[in-house]
Amino acid sequence: MYSSLVRLQNTFSFFTTVAFVVAAFIAASDLLAPRTPTVSLLKTTNLQVVRGRPHYYSSKKEEYAIIKFSLEADFSSLFTWNTKQLFVYVTAEWPSAGGTGSGRNATNQAVIWDTIITAPSADHLANIGPVAMKKLKRSAQGKSIDPSRGKLSLKNQRPKYQITHPSGKVAEQEDVVLRLHYNVQPWVGVLTWNQDEEFWKWKPLRGSLSKKFSLPALKKKDEGKKEGSRV
Amino acid sequence: MWKGLSVITDSPSPIVVVLSGSMEPAFQRGDLLLLWNRNLFSETNVGEIVVYNVKGKDIPIVHRVVRKFGTGPDAKLLTKGDNNAADDTELYARGQDYLNRKDIVGSVVGYLPFVGYVTIMLSEHPWLKTVMLGLMGLVVVLQRE
Amino acid sequence: MAEQLLDQIRDVFEGQIDFEGQKLAEFLVNVALMLVGAIAFFAGYLLQDIKLAVYLGLGGTVLVFVLVVPPWPFFNRNPVKWLPVRGGISAPANLVVDDKVLG
Repeated sequence: MYSSLVRLQNTFSFFTTVAFVVAAFIAASDLLAPRTPTVSLLKTTNLQVVRGRPHYYSSKKEEYAIIKFSLEADFSSLFTWNTKQLFVYVTAEWPSAGGTGSGRNATNQAVIWDTIITAPSADHLANIGPVAMKKLKRSAQGKSIDPSRGKLSLKNQRPKYQITHPSGKVAEQEDVVLRLHYNVQPWVGVLTWNQDEEFWKWKPLRGSLSKKFSLPALKKKDEGKKEGSRV
Repeated sequence: MWKGLSVITDSPSPIVVVLSGSMEPAFQRGDLLLLWNRNLFSETNVGEIVVYNVKGKDIPIVHRVVRKFGTGPDAKLLTKGDNNAADDTELYARGQDYLNRKDIVGSVVGYLPFVGYVTIMLSEHPWLKTVMLGLMGLVVVLQRE
Repeated sequence: MAEQLLDQIRDVFEGQIDFEGQKLAEFLVNVALMLVGAIAFFAGYLLQDIKLAVYLGLGGTVLVFVLVVPPWPFFNRNPVKWLPVRGGISAPANLVVDDKVLG
């Protein structure tokens, strides 16, 4: 502490220590916030299987399932000061021939739809256009957190991703279910996903499975075209 | 310390620095990720963010698993960056359509923002090293024994 | 001439403080930084505002730097009193101790 240089070094090194300790406390404060996510509705509204190519220039043709769905969920309790974003995704799951049923280790799992819900503290990082960005920032003006963004209500939502299987066959697949998941991305600390078991103040996500359904038979090409023109 | 962490997490590099923006807004360049490579309770599943290596490329990639077909070590996994429109098929080796469990270095479990940014700055702007050397020299000149 | 100038720059750069001042500086660094950390955490937690916590933490740290790094007068209120040179043992001429020529 004799010279300015030594004082500068010591102050900086103690600053890094304090910063790490505070970061650890912030991460730990997640545990104090109860999580009570709920799903009140998850069902398919329209099912289609069409043939298509994996890439524009591919000669291979595969079957693609287009699963439209409706969803009502309330994830507002997941937004705390340490929440950077919430990643919400819907998977379709189905057993392979002779395999076991759907579950945590379902044999086939594919994301059909996802969304990123940023917390107001991370709005500036969102990858959206300037107009949408303005709107997003205005929606949270004066708010440091905005739990109302966790309320999801989708009706007859088109999937973002049309899914297939390495075999190229998905038509008439039985025992398919949709499952809703979330992933909380913190500003610092541990990443968390929806749980099946209760963990102290964090409740499991119940009702995240849809009813079992079967995919329809392959749609004829001209029929698909007509469908497309109507939409 | 590094070795011990490597053994505990069963990952050859348990801490990685994010180098690309393909997982924004979750991860920015310079953020530090803690990886875990053991499947104690369940297999590596859809929705997890994994770091994987592609044959012939030495830069590991951090992306989210979006599809999984089959179970066990032969399960076929497809990944995608949250910030990318398309999945990673283009990033894989020629003729490779899916990843296997062994391509994965670990799943992201912990996150510390910004701390790795210094390494990125130093590797991308070599003149910063010169500036730092110069500053150190100045300190030596101005210091009395 | 150049040597003298360099010496002056060195003095400013070095920013010496006395022993009492060093103790005080050490105490200030530890207490003030911990206080800044605690305030940043609790303000951020109570108001559920992580940006506020970051700004408070960084701003407070800058203040601590300003408070502790320069050789402020209050770090130099207890200068060391050197014993007077005894007549019996005459110090060699031009002996330099702490930048002051003795004898």
